[in-house]
This record gives sequence, C-alpha cells and structure tokens, in this order.
Amino acid sequence: MSDAPPLPEFADSLDGAPILDRVRVVEVGDLGEVAGRLLADVGADVIRVEPPSGTDSRHIGPYPGDEPGVETSLRFAAHNANKRGVTLDLEHTEARELWRRLCESADVVIDGSGHGVLDGLGAGWEARLADGWAGPRVWCSITPFGREGPWADWASSDLVQLALGGPMMSTGYTDHDLPPIRGGFDHSYWMGGEYAVVGILGALFGLDAGAAEGPELVDMAIHDAVSATTEGSFPSWEYRREINQRATGRHSAPGPTPEIQFPTVDRRHMNIIGGGQPRSVRYLEGLLDWMDQYDAAEDLREPRFREAVFAARNEAGKERQRFSEVTKRFVAMLTTEEAYRGGQSLHLPWGIVRRPEENLDDPHWTDRDSFAPLELPDGLQARLPVAPYRFEGVERGVPCRAPLLGEHNHAVYHEELGVPAEELPGLSERGAI
Amino acid sequence: MAKSDANSDRAYDERPRPLAGVRVVDFTWIVAGPQATRILADLGADVIRVENEGHMDSLRGGLPPDGPPHPDRSGIFNNFNRNKRGITANIYHPRTRELIEQLISGADAVTENFSPGAFARMGFGFERLRELNPKIVYLSLSGYGHYGRDSSYVTWGPTAQAVSGLTYISGLPDQDPAGWGYSYLDHSAGYYGAIAMLLALRRRDRIEGAQRVDISQVETGMVMTGVTMLDWQINGRQSERIGNRSRHPAMAPHGAYRCAGDDRWITVAVETGEHWRELCEELGAPELAEDERFASLEARLAAEDELDAAITERTSERDARELMYALQARGVPAGLAQNMPDKMEDEQLAARGFYRAAPSPYVDDRFYEGLPFLFRQLGWDVHRGAPGIGEHIDEVLTELGCTPEEIAQLRAEAAV
Repeated sequence: MSDAPPLPEFADSLDGAPILDRVRVVEVGDLGEVAGRLLADVGADVIRVEPPSGTDSRHIGPYPGDEPGVETSLRFAAHNANKRGVTLDLEHTEARELWRRLCESADVVIDGSGHGVLDGLGAGWEARLADGWAGPRVWCSITPFGREGPWADWASSDLVQLALGGPMMSTGYTDHDLPPIRGGFDHSYWMGGEYAVVGILGALFGLDAGAAEGPELVDMAIHDAVSATTEGSFPSWEYRREINQRATGRHSAPGPTPEIQFPTVDRRHMNIIGGGQPRSVRYLEGLLDWMDQYDAAEDLREPRFREAVFAARNEAGKERQRFSEVTKRFVAMLTTEEAYRGGQSLHLPWGIVRRPEENLDDPHWTDRDSFAPLELPDGLQARLPVAPYRFEGVERGVPCRAPLLGEHNHAVYHEELGVPAEELPGLSERGAI
Repeated sequence: MAKSDANSDRAYDERPRPLAGVRVVDFTWIVAGPQATRILADLGADVIRVENEGHMDSLRGGLPPDGPPHPDRSGIFNNFNRNKRGITANIYHPRTRELIEQLISGADAVTENFSPGAFARMGFGFERLRELNPKIVYLSLSGYGHYGRDSSYVTWGPTAQAVSGLTYISGLPDQDPAGWGYSYLDHSAGYYGAIAMLLALRRRDRIEGAQRVDISQVETGMVMTGVTMLDWQINGRQSERIGNRSRHPAMAPHGAYRCAGDDRWITVAVETGEHWRELCEELGAPELAEDERFASLEARLAAEDELDAAITERTSERDARELMYALQARGVPAGLAQNMPDKMEDEQLAARGFYRAAPSPYVDDRFYEGLPFLFRQLGWDVHRGAPGIGEHIDEVLTELGCTPEEIAQLRAEAAV
C-alpha cells in the first residue's frame, strides 16, 4: 500500500487552448514524421506534404489483414495522427510555386526528405535563404548524418544508425557469440524526432526572445541523436578508458555484473535492477519478511547483507552477487503479477517484462488516459499511446486519424492559400498535386 | 594542446544562446531529470542544482578518472551535469528555506524527479510554488506520473523499459529478452522533459498563471510502441522479438554480421535488388547473387537463416570498418557496430564538432557529448564541467543578497 498522500486532481482547463496553438508546421519526407507527430499532439497545425503516389511510409506495413493499401498502413497511422495532409510533386515546376507559398504560410518546415533532395530541386533551405522567402522562421532539416561532412551522403537505416551511434554495442547478450542487438523498433527515428523538437522549440524560443533574427536553421543529424543516447559507455571511455560490454537484460559495464532479469513460475520475466539488493535497510527488512513467507531468504539475514546496503557499489560485489542469486530463486516461485505487485507494494523497483500491448488493459494507464481512441480508415477502431506530456488543466482531445492521401488539398490550397478552386483539378491532372 | 583549446576558436561557441536569461531551479538527481536540465543548460539556461548533501545524488558515487571515488570527480555525474551551477541546501533550516523560496520566486522553472508526493512533503507542492511565483513552470518526472492508481510505484530506467514493453521486444526470438544495455528511458524521459519545458516557457506569455507538467517515464516508452500496439489491436498479432531482422519494411539480409577481430560486427540493411547485387559483389560472392534461394526479396525473407550464414561466412575475415566504407561506396546501407573508441574516431561526428572539450577544476579538460543539432545563428555550448558539491554556494547566495558573514553563519549551522 502506498503511504504517499493523495495528490491533487489535475484541474480543469485553464483556457481551453492547446499547448502549441497558432504554430503551423509543414512536414515533408519521412525522417521527420515523429517530430511532426510530437508537435501535432500538442496542437500545432502540422501539414504533411506527400507526392501524389503517397509518401514512402504509407508503403510500409503492418496493414490490416496484411493487405497493403495506400490509406491503411498502421505505421503511417501511428506516426501521422493529428496531422493534415496535402499532395505535391516537388519535381513539378507548378508544384514548387505552391510549395513556396505553403512554406511561407508556415512557422516551421520539417524537411525529412533526405540529404540534398530539396536543395537539389531548388526547394530547400538554401533556396529559402537565398531567395528571401517570407517564411518559415525555422527550417528543420532532419537527415541521417547532417547537412555536411564526409558521411553526409551515406545510405542509412534504423539498424545502421543504432550500430554507428553505439546503442547496439551496449545491447544484447553476455554471450558475445551472439550479435549486438538493435532494440525493436525504429528508435533512431524517435531519438532523432525528439531532439528535432528540442531544436525547433529552442529556435522558436530564441527567435521570439530576440536572440537572433530569422530565419533559423536546425541541422539535425539522426547519427548525432543516437550517439548522444548511450549513457554509460561514453563516461566509461572518457574517464576510465574502459569499454562497456553488453550483458543479458541489463546495463552494459566494463566488468561482470549480477543478473537482474529473472524468470518467474509462469515462464515470464521480472526486471529487478541491481539484482535485488534494496537501497535502504527499511526496504531490505520488508523484502526479507516477504521472502520468509516462502522460506526463501536463505542467508540474506546475515549482517553482511545489511552492511552492504551502506557500502559503495564497487565494495560489496560479493554480497550483491549473492543477493541476485537468492532473489532469482525467490522470484522463480512467484508469478510475474505477484512479483510485480508484491515488490512495488514494498517500494521496490521491480518491473514486469511486458509485451507493449499488455499496457492497454492496465488500470493505471486508464486513470491517466494514456491511450486515446483512434478511428482508422474503413471504420476500424483502436487506441493509440499519446505523446507523454501532461499539462495540468489542458484536456487531451481525441486524436484525429492520419490524413488520407490529399485529404486537405482543397482546404489548404484553396481556402488557406487562395488558389482558385477551379484550378485544382488541372493541377491534379498535370500531376502537380 | 589542452583539450579545451581544441575547439576554442569555434565561432559557434560565441553565438547567442536561445535560453539565455532563463533560470531553472533544479532539484533533479540521478539521470532522467539531469538529462532534461542538461539540454536546457546547453541551450543557455542558468540551471542551479539544489542538492542535499545528506542524501547525495548517487551519480556522484560514480568512478573518477583515477584514485578513490569522490563526489566531485565522478565521470558520469560530470557528463550529465556540465554547464550547471550547484548549491547544497538543508531545506529544513528556516533561513535556507527562505533563500530557496527567494530563488524560486525569481526563477522561470522548477524541476524535480523524486517519487510522487516527495517534493510536496518537502514543502514545495505546486500550490506553494505558485504562491511564490505566479508564473512558475513546475516540471516533475517520475516513473508512473503524479496521478493514477499506481503512481506510488518506483522505477529506474530498466524497470520502466520492462513495464513499457521495450525490453520484451528487444532480442533474439529463441533467447531471453536482451532489453536495452542502459537506462534508455531515463534519456527519453529527459528529452520529453526538455520538450515540455520549452513548450511551457513558450506558452507562459499567453496564459495567466503557473503551469504544472507531469511526465511519466513509462509513458515515454509506451508512445514509441504505437505501431506494434495497433498491429495487436487490428490484426491480433502479439509483439515478438525478431533479433536484428526487419519486417516493416521487409529487408533481407538485415542484421549484424561478425567481422575479423574481437567482437567486431558490421550491420547491413538490404532493401533493393541493387543493394543485394552490390553486397554480393563486394563480398566476392557472385555465386550468392546467382543463387535461386536468394533471387528475390521474398525468397531471401523465406531463407533468412541460410542467408545470414552465407553472409557471415564471407564477412568474418573482413575488417569491419573497411567493409563499411566499401559498402557505402556502393550505396549499400551498412555500418560498423561502433564502440566508444570507434565513436571518438568517427569522422562524421568530428566534422560536426559533436564532442566538445571543456575544462573542469575536478577532472581536468574532458570531452562531452554535445547536442545533435547545429543552428545557423544561435548556438549551444559546453563551457564547463559539472559543479562540485556546493561549489556555487557563495556565488548564488551573494546574488540573493547574503553577506559573506551570513553565508559563513549558514555554513557553521550546516544550513548549506
């Protein structure tokens, strides 16, 4: 049971407005779709620009019933919720004029179309700067390796990024006959997208504060984002000249560490950081009492384990190792649910190794509205995890499904940019939109 | 040449910082919170860490470059707290509390990543913070968030990775989960914390009142699993580990292949027939390109075990880095699985100035990981290492109007 006092309920909306209203984002290519989604979830008007055949990520599954369809990719649905969509063939001269007008109407452009692609068409950051476009104020170029440098033109993928950036050499198994592992799935795009949003919002804030005059470029490299997301391997090398070695289900480290991932009686796993030794004596007593109910505490009541709680981590290696072995035998008597709820009720950071979808039915996330209902094409209904910011007083609305191909052409080109409605069919027939 | 001279001529370092003039009173510790405030400090915010010497940040217990552990010399602490200032404070001492409240009154934001409720029990509930400062941004990071049935549950990065589903889906299908080899979600939570802070600071000009932002570390992991959750709900397909293979998009070969030397691996992601032909040619294996079993993507996907064995046979004597350059010259997506020494020699990171050198009175000149983006006019920097324990007590208290005599008195009373 929790001994924490009840927390105040989050209050009703302060003003009903979204967190990031009156910001228009134009997004092209696929490398920035996570960044666009994170901004769309807080209320930015994100307009996804695609070629008339649909952007590449519409052609990546999974699909309902495994039937490919340009409107039904579940990947596209997840990464493009809350956005609007227009079509535009940037290789088409007429289209490039529209592109410029669209960009000029925006505060931010997210260019995820690949290194040099838009600049090669005279439709990129260089044209925006040289030709004095009236907008946008912030141009975010998301590329695999950045806009310049010896690798700028290199071919890339999520796997290649997680290899080059370092996460793979920290992730995998203690048995190094097994390969380093790419954590599933697409995390390089998340790391790049999250940092791109930091860069975009930082640039907007700096411009608003008068730190610089616009326009501002954010030259965002996914390789750098992944390289910045490796935690301990960098300090191990920079300060100790030691190389972290991957170990099954736990932190990589220069030397051996106790196991922390334990099988349960229902053939699943628990993650118990440190291997089980609590970080305070109060929690140690609670754990030993619990183990005693199963006659499982073995020798852990010996004073040396109590003393080890106070010792520096590198000074109680034997005790931590022993604690891990005994905890493993104890956890093997429990179901994951018993271990998870039992450990957490004693304030121990015991984590259940779940499939992602098991969270859909967890009452805690229901309390927090962590999943929003999402209507997919063909009337399919699902729930989607929403961007994890909770602003007190701001209702999180029902997300709009990802746009159909060209769904907002009329609204954006005619109603907002003033292209005469009768010109749209011609633009479409000539392949410009 | 000292490391700190290595990039001292970078005009970039002289550019205006977007968050210059923003002050954050930072009660965070360990990794997730300090990762968020590290980003804010790199962007120019004045981040003042408020530490409790009696309950020290466990990262200060990290290993130093040499000699015995010392709170001022931990490598990992230094890396995540560079650019910040630091004071210690006994917040239960009445005068110290007044001073901390004065600090909050004049700041833009307060951050913490204690267990839910702990900061309020310390006397800094949101109601008190907004009394002190009606425009304050209060950002909390915790495992499960500050409300909801299980908000008292505690996490570290790996706990949150397990619960969110990230651990389960990382690894080989016939092995236990590999998980992630570090506290990935401490960093994601930090990134979302920085994003939320930037959103709140921007929104502050428009709304009346203070803002409270609540981030759950587990939720930062769940948001990344949207595609696999939709696949379950629509197709009834459970999430499973598939090692280094790729189903969406379908690619084969797609994996990490052993190369010459100790624990050296090259990753290759073959999406097109052109990639496949170029790979075979580079590996000196035209017979693979001709092999019926591997003639199409569909065929290669159906014979992945044989395919991976055939590739490994031909990479295992090759130098991984040379093979990477050769494959990239042919347009094949390929990358060495880089360890830290590799990354320090990475010519692309070097060209972008990703690792920045800065001085520290405790651990000498060191390199630091930078931010992954470059601006055109604005800048970010790494100008100093992390603060020693209580390093800026005199400086910060003087700014708050304390006299040297008063500061000495507070020290004598163990109030700071």
